[in-house]
Amino acid sequence: MKNMLTITWYSLREAMARKVFISFFIISLLTIILVALILNMAGFVKVFTSGTQNNFTEAFTTMEMMFISPITLIGILMSIFSSASFIPIMLEKGNIDLLLSKPISREQLLVGKYLGGVLVVFINIALLIIGVWLTFSIKFSVWNFGFLLTIFTITFTFSILYSIIVLLGIATKSSAPGMMIAYLIFLIVSPVLYSAKYKLGVFIQSSLIKGIVDFVYYLFPKTSELMGKTTYDLATGSGITNYQPILTSFGFLILTLGIAVVIFRKKDF
Amino acid sequence: MNFNAIETSSLSKVYSSAFGRRKIEALTNLNLIVKPGTIFGFLGPNGAGKTTFVKLLLGITFPTSGGAKILGEDISEYKMKSKIGYLPENHKYPAYLKGSEVLDFYGKLSGMEGINLQKKIDELLDLVKLTQWKKTKVKAYSKGMMQRLGLAQALLNEPELIFLDEPTDGVDPIGRKEIRDILLELKSRSKTIFLNSHLLSEVEQITDRVGILNKGKLIREGTVKELTQKREEYKLSLEGAAVDDINKNPDNDLHLTNIGDGYFNLKVSDSNELNKVLDMLRSKGIMIKEMVQQKDSLEDIFISLINESEKGAMK
Repeated sequence: MKNMLTITWYSLREAMARKVFISFFIISLLTIILVALILNMAGFVKVFTSGTQNNFTEAFTTMEMMFISPITLIGILMSIFSSASFIPIMLEKGNIDLLLSKPISREQLLVGKYLGGVLVVFINIALLIIGVWLTFSIKFSVWNFGFLLTIFTITFTFSILYSIIVLLGIATKSSAPGMMIAYLIFLIVSPVLYSAKYKLGVFIQSSLIKGIVDFVYYLFPKTSELMGKTTYDLATGSGITNYQPILTSFGFLILTLGIAVVIFRKKDF
Repeated sequence: MNFNAIETSSLSKVYSSAFGRRKIEALTNLNLIVKPGTIFGFLGPNGAGKTTFVKLLLGITFPTSGGAKILGEDISEYKMKSKIGYLPENHKYPAYLKGSEVLDFYGKLSGMEGINLQKKIDELLDLVKLTQWKKTKVKAYSKGMMQRLGLAQALLNEPELIFLDEPTDGVDPIGRKEIRDILLELKSRSKTIFLNSHLLSEVEQITDRVGILNKGKLIREGTVKELTQKREEYKLSLEGAAVDDINKNPDNDLHLTNIGDGYFNLKVSDSNELNKVLDMLRSKGIMIKEMVQQKDSLEDIFISLINESEKGAMK
């Protein structure tokens, strides 16, 4: 266990050395400054304070989400880009030989590295969201703690995509295939499957096609729902109304990571 | 220790290309025993399978068939690696770490921590003469410095068995001598050292036993003394008036060949013949100033064994 934590800790060090933290931090800081400037613009606050108390709370959260959604989207894209090379670098000749010569199991090594990547993104996302939350809360004197829970949904979404990067990184020793598939799932497959299931589903007559759509929908992770509805529900304090996207996506994560571990356990270096 | 440091039985490794169309036998039925507290030199040309052998023992690569034990434990048991040190060929350290941080990282992975680890790091950096570079990032290190840091890394956990793959690669002659001295000191502390090297003269100087590998097969194994056997061949320095006569009228009974500078080569079948020749020389009034029995160097043996093995493979 200690060995695994050492790997996780040094993944953070690697991220710091590769300027992942500082890049993220600068973007977060600029975002927070931008949010603060917009909130101080004359007339902007009036729009949100003119309604009833109920309307105000909803409008307030919507406004928070309006700022945070595009930023976290960019954050996820950046995280995929910055963490994709962690595994291929670990597998480089001369590096992996040394790691595997130490008393650490291959499972611990891989999971430690995976957790390191997730932790890097968790810290960055947390800094960004806490910064934006503080700016809003101080400005409006409304302390919506539910908003902070979005740190976990966004990190969870990344952890699913990162499991794909890890699997393909182990299988191909390259960062490109994992990055491409992660982007494809995040930007195209997941939103398209969500639309096919819930928006276009009513127009599909064939039960076979419906079955195929359902199968593919449940097979793939629901990153667009996690980043959309689940995150919004938590931010507004409604709680999680549908656990299905979380559970099936978690199943996908475990399966993907499990396959990565099985391949890694048998691989010659 | 009542078990062998290394014990392999019919250890084999076949690498297959994608879809198994092409197979490369990297190691074939290798049986080897390395006794504890010895320095074992593993020799072979490039691609002979030396590094594959070490990787198999360390669980970096998996055997196709056969098995092996290290310090009495099966190689599939990863926890036994806490008793092992390893310096791979072409090792790569995280470039963003400083020398002392590299050792801290690998020390922690070996299960060390706290003050003990820090003390050990300082001690080893001093041993490999890198103390003044400990706060420098390793990306600024020269090849020789990286090798010395690698050696320190391999010794961090006070291992009982140390695998060194080309440890003096890129190290200057003084550094090589220092590394040799470190290895001999380790041996005096009953550590077992498994040394992969191309530098035959170096291996000859410090190893107790040597194994020669070619195309994945162990073609000879023994002590350096056994391998570099003395021949019934002597180099003589002779002096006296009759020496010119020998040159002018070579006597077949004397078995002498002039090799220049007053030296002669003498080939005999046994000691009796040697004594007869010496008596004959003395009877001619020739003074024997110097006589050295000839023996093969490890390099001679290595080249001849590899050539024999290649010829055998051609047939």
